[in-house]
Amino acid sequence: MIDHNRSWRDLLWILVMLGAMAAIFRLWFGLGATTNLTDSVPWGLWKILNMVAGVALATGGFTVGFLVYVLRLERFRPLVKPAILIAFLGYGSSVFALTLDIGLPHRIWHLLVMWNHHSFLFEVGWCVMLYFTVTIMELSPILLERLRLRRAAGILHGIAFGVVVVGISLSSLHHSSLGSLFLVTPQRLHPLWFTPLLPVHFILSAMGGGMMVVVLAKILYARAYDPPSVFGDARAAEAPLGPDFPMAQRLAVIASGVLATYLMVKLTDLVARGNWRALVAGTWESWFFVLEQVLLAGLPLTLIAWRRTRRSPVGIGVAAACAVLGLLWNRMDVGIFGYFRTAKVAYFPSGIEWALSLGVLAAAVLVFIYAVENLPIFDTTWRARQEARQRFPSTFDPATMVWRASLARGIDRVTFIAVFTGALGWLVLYPPYRAPKRGSVAVAPPVALDVERSRLRLGEDGKASAVVFPHRDHQQRLGKEKSCGNCHHLSMPQDHSTPCVRCHQAMEASTDIFNHDVHLASLARRVPGHAVFAANWVCSQCHPNSEAKSALGAKPCMGCHQQDMKPTRGLHAGADWRRAIGYRAAMHGTCIPCHEREKERVKKPTLAMCGTCHQNLRYRERTQLASAP
Amino acid sequence: MLAILFDTTKCQGCERCVDACVQASGKDEAAAAADRATTLDGLSANRLVTLRRVAPGRFARWSCMHCVEPSCVSACLVGGLSKTRQGPVVYDADKCIGCRYCMLACPFHVPRYEWARTAPFMRKCSMCFDRVSKGGQPACVEACPNKVMTFGERADLLARAHELVERQPNRYLPRVWGETEFGGTSVLYVSDADLSPAGWPAKQAASIPSVTDPLIKKTPFIGLGVGMSCWALSAVIRRRDLLGAKGASREGPPSQSHSTKEDNRD
Repeated sequence: MIDHNRSWRDLLWILVMLGAMAAIFRLWFGLGATTNLTDSVPWGLWKILNMVAGVALATGGFTVGFLVYVLRLERFRPLVKPAILIAFLGYGSSVFALTLDIGLPHRIWHLLVMWNHHSFLFEVGWCVMLYFTVTIMELSPILLERLRLRRAAGILHGIAFGVVVVGISLSSLHHSSLGSLFLVTPQRLHPLWFTPLLPVHFILSAMGGGMMVVVLAKILYARAYDPPSVFGDARAAEAPLGPDFPMAQRLAVIASGVLATYLMVKLTDLVARGNWRALVAGTWESWFFVLEQVLLAGLPLTLIAWRRTRRSPVGIGVAAACAVLGLLWNRMDVGIFGYFRTAKVAYFPSGIEWALSLGVLAAAVLVFIYAVENLPIFDTTWRARQEARQRFPSTFDPATMVWRASLARGIDRVTFIAVFTGALGWLVLYPPYRAPKRGSVAVAPPVALDVERSRLRLGEDGKASAVVFPHRDHQQRLGKEKSCGNCHHLSMPQDHSTPCVRCHQAMEASTDIFNHDVHLASLARRVPGHAVFAANWVCSQCHPNSEAKSALGAKPCMGCHQQDMKPTRGLHAGADWRRAIGYRAAMHGTCIPCHEREKERVKKPTLAMCGTCHQNLRYRERTQLASAP
Repeated sequence: MLAILFDTTKCQGCERCVDACVQASGKDEAAAAADRATTLDGLSANRLVTLRRVAPGRFARWSCMHCVEPSCVSACLVGGLSKTRQGPVVYDADKCIGCRYCMLACPFHVPRYEWARTAPFMRKCSMCFDRVSKGGQPACVEACPNKVMTFGERADLLARAHELVERQPNRYLPRVWGETEFGGTSVLYVSDADLSPAGWPAKQAASIPSVTDPLIKKTPFIGLGVGMSCWALSAVIRRRDLLGAKGASREGPPSQSHSTKEDNRD
C-alpha cells in the first residue's frame, strides 16, 4: 500500500519542485515576464484557480461543521477533522498563491492597515484571513494533543462551538463575496455568467462542491489506506460495503441536494433574465457553460439519483470528482473565460503560471497526505500503520563497498527528484527563453511638427533639378500648425508628417510600399491563441474568401488604417495605395496645382513657372511656363 | 468639479495630445510609440491617453473618464484610488499592492499595468492633477491645435454641451456622452457619430458603486444574522434532542433511536 502511494507522492513532489522554481522566477523577473497576463486579461490562473476556486474547494470546513455542531448530525463527526484540514490547506494555499500573484508581494500587509470598506475584495481578504485563523484554532487541538498539551487543547475544545459559529458566519460572507467580486463588471462578463445573483450562485455551488471534496477525500483515503472501512470486505456476503460508507453516501446526498438547488436557481435566473438565448447561441461560451453545469450538477445528481451508483463507493466517488471538477471549471469560466469576448483576446496561462498553480495545490495535497498519515485525522489507525511501515535505511555496505542508497526514504527520493526537476524546470520555465510579448515592429521616431530646418532640399540627388523648399515659410503662410494637411496627405503609423521620400522612393518609378510580411505578422498576433493556425483568419481580413488572393481584390488600406495613418487630404481610396507614385510626380502634383491657383490670387504670373522652384536651372528653362507633369 | 468636454467633430486625429501627455508624465517616447503599434487600443502604462476611432474620420479621446462615482475607487481594497474634491480620480502608488482589481472593475477598461517592471504599478491619467490643482490645464487640452477639448467646471461644460447640441442639430447627435452613463463622468463628449463602438454603454447604465455599496453595507448584518441563527438553531435542536432523549429513556435505549431511524431510510 505504501509503495502504491509513493509514485503518486513522487509526482506531487515533482510538481512542488517545479512550483518552487516558478515562484523564484516570478519574484526575480516580475509578473510581466513570467505570466501571460495582459492589460486586457488582468486576472489569471493564480487569482482564479488558486484563490477563487481554491477557497471554494475548502468550503467543506464550514458546511460539515454546520452539520455536526449546529444541526447535531453526529454521524458526520468523523468527517469534521478532515474537512477542517482541507479548509486549512485550501485557504493556506490560496493565500500563498495570492501573495505571489499581486504585483508587490512585500506590501501584502497593506491589507491590514489600509481599509476601504466599499471594496468586496477588502471584505474577502479580511474574511479569508480571519477564517484561516479559525481553521487553525479548530485544527490545533489535534496538534496539541499530539504534543501532549492537553490543557491548551481542553481550552480550545471548550470554545469549539463558538469558533465554529464564527467560522460559519465568516464563510457565508466571503464565499458569497467572492461572487460579488465579479458584480463590478456588468458589461464585460459574458451574460451567461453575469447576474446580480452571482453571490448566491457562488455560495450554493461552493457549499455543494465543498462537501463533495470531503466525500472524495474520504473515499480516496479509504482506497489508499483502509479499503474495508468504505469498500467493505468482498468475502463477507452479509455486508458488502464498509461501515463508513453510509457516512460518505449521506454527505454526498446532502451535497447533491445543495447542488440541485444551485442548478434550479441558476437556470431560473438564466430564463428570468432572458439570457438563455446565449445558451442556445452555439458559441463556445454556451458549450463551456453546459460542460460546467453537467460536471458540477448534472452528472453528480444523476449518479446519486440512480440507485445502483448511489450504493457503490466508486459511483459516489465519481460523482464527487465530477462535482469538484465542475466547481473548478465554473470558477474559471466566471473569472477567466467569460471575459475573453469583450477583451477581444484570449489568455492561456504560461508554463510558470501552470507550474506555480499546480505546485501550490500539490503541496497542499502532500501536507494533507502527511497529516493523515501522522495525525488522527480520519481515524486512529495511523500509529499502527506507522509501526508496520518497513524502513530501508540508506547504508554503506562494507562487504560490497556499495552505498546502498535505496531511495526508499522520503528525503532521498525528494533530493533525487529535486535535482532532476531543477534542471528540467530551468529548461522549460526560464523566463528569458520565452518569446518577447511585445511585437517587434520597427517604429520610426515621430517627426517633430515644427521642423528645425526651415528649408528642406527636395530631390537632392546630385542633379541640377534639386529644389530648396522653404518648409517653415510655407508652414507659416498656409496656416501654421494646421497646415500640415495641405501637403502631407498621409502619415505612416505613429507619425505626424511622414517625409515624402519615405514612400515616394524612386524619382521616376512607383514604389511598392505595402509590406505584406509585416501585415501578416501583426495581424497574426491579434488572433486568439497567438498565431496558431492563424492563416485562415489573417488572410480573410484583407482578401475576401470568395476572391483570388491578389492585390486587386484586397481591402483598401484605409479600411483598417483610418485611425493611425491619418489621411488629411481627400485621396481616392483604392488598391493604388499599395504603390507610391514616383517622387517627381508626387512633388509636381503637390506643388504645381497650388501654385497655379495662387498665381491668380497674388497676381504673380511667374509663380507657376519651373524656375520659381528649380532655381538652378538655366534662364530659358526657368522662364518657361510650367506644364502639367 | 473639473471636467473636459471633447468635440469629436473638431478632432482630426493628429494625437498631439498623446505626445503632450507622454512628455508631461515623463514617459519614454519610444516606448509609447511602440505601444501604439503593439497594443490593441493604444492605451498602455506608457501611453495614458489615446484616440479611438469611432467612425471613419472621427476620433474620441480615450483615457480615464474620472467618473463621478468611480468604480475603481470603490474596488481598490487598500484605498489607493480616490476621487478628489476638484474632480480628478487620482492614484496613490504608495498604497497599491498590485492586485489589479481596478483594472477589472473599470467600466471603461482604462487602468494599465507596468508589466515590464519587476515592481510594477498601475498607471492611468490623473487629469494632470498637479497642474490642475495649481490652476493650470491638462497637458492634452493645452496641446490640441484644433481646440477640440474644453477644460472647466463640469456643470458649465454640461450646459455648454447641451447648448451646442441644441443649436446645431445638424452637426451633433442629440446626446451628451458622459452626462449620466455610470453615474456620470468628468470627461464629456459631443459627437456626430455614435460613441458606442468605442465602448460607451446605454444612457441609463447605473454606476457600479450604486450597485455594490448597498450590498456591501448589508454584509456585517448578514454575517451577524447567520451567526445568530446558527446559534439559535443549535439551541433549538439541542433542546429537542434533550426532550427526545428524556422521552426515549422511558421507552428504550436513549440517543440511538435518532440515528438508527436515519440509517434505515436509504
